[in-house]
Amino acid sequence: MHVLEHFYIEVIIPIKVFGIDISITNLTLSMFGAAVLFLTLFILLAMKPKVVPGKRQAVIEMLLMFIKRNLVYTMIGKKEGDKWVPLIGGMFVFVLSCNLIGLIPGAYTPTSNPMVPVTLAIIVFFTVQITNIRMHGFKGLVRTLAPAAVPSWMYVIVVPIEAISMIAKPFSLFIRLTANMLAGHTIIYVLFGLILYFESYLIAIPIVPFAVIMTLFELFVSAIQAYIFAVLSAMYIGEAVKPKH
Amino acid sequence: MDPKTAALIAAGFAMGIGSIGPSIAIGNLVGKALEGMARQPEAGGQIQTAMFIGVAFAEAIALYALVVAFLLIFVA
Repeated sequence: MHVLEHFYIEVIIPIKVFGIDISITNLTLSMFGAAVLFLTLFILLAMKPKVVPGKRQAVIEMLLMFIKRNLVYTMIGKKEGDKWVPLIGGMFVFVLSCNLIGLIPGAYTPTSNPMVPVTLAIIVFFTVQITNIRMHGFKGLVRTLAPAAVPSWMYVIVVPIEAISMIAKPFSLFIRLTANMLAGHTIIYVLFGLILYFESYLIAIPIVPFAVIMTLFELFVSAIQAYIFAVLSAMYIGEAVKPKH
Repeated sequence: MDPKTAALIAAGFAMGIGSIGPSIAIGNLVGKALEGMARQPEAGGQIQTAMFIGVAFAEAIALYALVVAFLLIFVA
């Protein structure tokens, strides 16, 4: 039995289009499941909106206000914020749903495979760069790489550092999410593996409650990581929209 | 010592030494945040948000060590 057995990808329906492999695997199946589940949930919650929200509608309005106030307005600002709500909100809900679907026994955690967060991080990276160039022109890119407040002889050191940090930002964004989801699931897997390893039912007495606590902690980590992913994307976009220097 | 054994020992050291810094950082962060919240309870929400972001940054460093440890175990 392998420790990372949980994260192996199995092809369910092989599909190949022009040499590109787009097979339905257990990863994509879980991702579709998460998307469909949350879409149905949100459509049910937001059906027939009224001016005075009932209990059902209040839940979705609270979520929307949370995304708007805590994620977007604090990081991007009230004036520019409104048009970024769909992107940041979509990111938050997608990452949250992908994290949570992994807690169902048998399901694959889409965000624990590096490829899903990499895709999201690449989206954030290009959004930031294109926004920077569109809003401030070529000068914006120059200003990001070579801040005006620095004395000119320092540019030898500052420009490479800024260039590296430009790449490191999306890199750390995806590593953080992947490693967090991978670590939590591996810990639970190793804990249950101990029962099989020692071949004794007695060891299950301390392990099972601890695994339950870890699973609850995983629930917390799933929400926190989705929040952090969204808040950091909002922060990077905010830096591009209104640079500080 | 064959390379596989060396890699396993290195993975253990990577995880162990790699988590010293982040653990100090998280302890410091949460302690300071609690101090701030005790002094000014009305700013609690804002401090908590900033604290979680900071904790995530510090935690990520330990997770880099975890990734390196996994690479050493399964790839090396």
